Amino acid sequence: MGPRNTGLQTPRVNVALMPAELQHEWDLYHATWFTLMGIGGGIFLIARLLRIERQLGVVLGLPLVDVMSFAVISVGGLVLVWSLGRPLRMLRAVLKPGTSWISRGAIADFIFVVAGGLLVLPGLTIGGAKPVAWLPWDPWATTPVGKALEVIGLLSAAVVIVYAGLVLADKAAITFWRSWAVPAQFVLSSLAMSTATVMVMGTLTRAPIDTIQCLLLAKFEALLLLTIAWHLVTDRAKPGKAESLARLYTKYRSWFFAGVIGAGTVLPMLLAIAAVLVPSDRGAVGIACFVLTVAGGFGLRLITLRVGYFPPISGALRLKKR
Amino acid sequence: MRWGMVVDMRKCVGCQTCTVACHEENALPPGIFWRHVVDVEVGEYPDVRRTFLPMGCQHCAEPPCVPVCPTGASQQRKDGIVFVQYDMCIGCGYCAIACPYRARHMVQDHTWYFGEATPSEQKAREPERHGVMTKCTFCKHRVDKAPPTATPGLDPEYTPVCVTSCIANAMHFGDLDDPASNVSKLREEHEPGVLLEELGLKPSLFYITE
Repeated sequence: MGPRNTGLQTPRVNVALMPAELQHEWDLYHATWFTLMGIGGGIFLIARLLRIERQLGVVLGLPLVDVMSFAVISVGGLVLVWSLGRPLRMLRAVLKPGTSWISRGAIADFIFVVAGGLLVLPGLTIGGAKPVAWLPWDPWATTPVGKALEVIGLLSAAVVIVYAGLVLADKAAITFWRSWAVPAQFVLSSLAMSTATVMVMGTLTRAPIDTIQCLLLAKFEALLLLTIAWHLVTDRAKPGKAESLARLYTKYRSWFFAGVIGAGTVLPMLLAIAAVLVPSDRGAVGIACFVLTVAGGFGLRLITLRVGYFPPISGALRLKKR
Repeated sequence: MRWGMVVDMRKCVGCQTCTVACHEENALPPGIFWRHVVDVEVGEYPDVRRTFLPMGCQHCAEPPCVPVCPTGASQQRKDGIVFVQYDMCIGCGYCAIACPYRARHMVQDHTWYFGEATPSEQKAREPERHGVMTKCTFCKHRVDKAPPTATPGLDPEYTPVCVTSCIANAMHFGDLDDPASNVSKLREEHEPGVLLEELGLKPSLFYITE
């Protein structure tokens, strides 16, 4: 043992001990999960808030956009379950909503599918018969019960598109993720992908694509662009984030700047603005924007995960000068 | 009571005996190391030196890995030991993402060094420990066996194996809340530092450097 502490010891200095390290826990499955949740929750929100769910087609008496929403969310959930080390225990994921965003998200997914499913259920038509039409509401939320279910569905859909970003930003050790910009980007990207999806559905079902849809898409992309730019220029030297940015600017430079920002964000924004001015081309614009925003949104999520670095490990240690 | 460790980096020679002992004691699969020693170069030229940093779970008093767990599998005992309840873990990896010390290790498959589990691997093999997150447990299976007359940290049988195996007596284990314990005395004497103090996680591993 050394001498008893006399208060005259070498002062502590912060010493770099281990360099930043790339995370390998979350990758393709998680990017897919985040993307599908964003689209699934978003199309329900956009279609219901714009009141265009009826125009976008009906299948088996149910609003097509809602059915698609449930299907996409379910596929997203299955992708996540597939990625788990112990998929058969998935129901346990709802046990800690007080502290874990994965729990909160899983509960929101469940509430969304149940409330949304109940909302559209009375419309179910099989062979011309409506077996559950006796329920005191309809899929278009024209009654108080229907309105209540719709509000629950909208609120849970909002959580569904928000929580993926919060999973990363809330308590992760990865500096690049710990920013409000990450959930903001994921939400804006989800809303852009969903608006484009709704536009494509409008094209396919020959429903009119309103100016407001084009304007919304342009606004979501513009805000997304601003949020990405803000995230890139703030805290650039912060331990962990500096390494993430270095990886982004080298390994993923083309994919991120030409792909996610150029083709996935700026181009759809310009196309959406053009569609405001030239209504006759909105169908083609919708299809192009769908492809671009979904590819860009997936790329944004995947690259965000793949540039995630654990910050360097340092210690406040005493080191005598030699 | 709060279990903790004091590591004397002046004594550590980087032999990795603790790494191997931990691997053997806990029957870890290939590539998984709960305890390992990092070869570190510190300082700036010309005042540069080589030192060794035994790393593992820091058993933080405020562990970020525990609240993020969606199932409650990641737990902290009253004595401060942070562990994974394997039969509750779904293997989502959120705790690994939350740990700034990179101390959590996902065991994906049944893999063994020589194809089949060797007798020593078989001895401590837990089928529940596959497809789940794993981490250093401060050898709680040894600590918990201590009778009232024994003291983990002083009695080798009830002390984490990395500590007992250390050839240089560089690692010390004991009760941080007991002012008379070996680790408390070392802390008082050397005022050791902790890693990533600025995060406020209150780790239970302390490092003596001078």
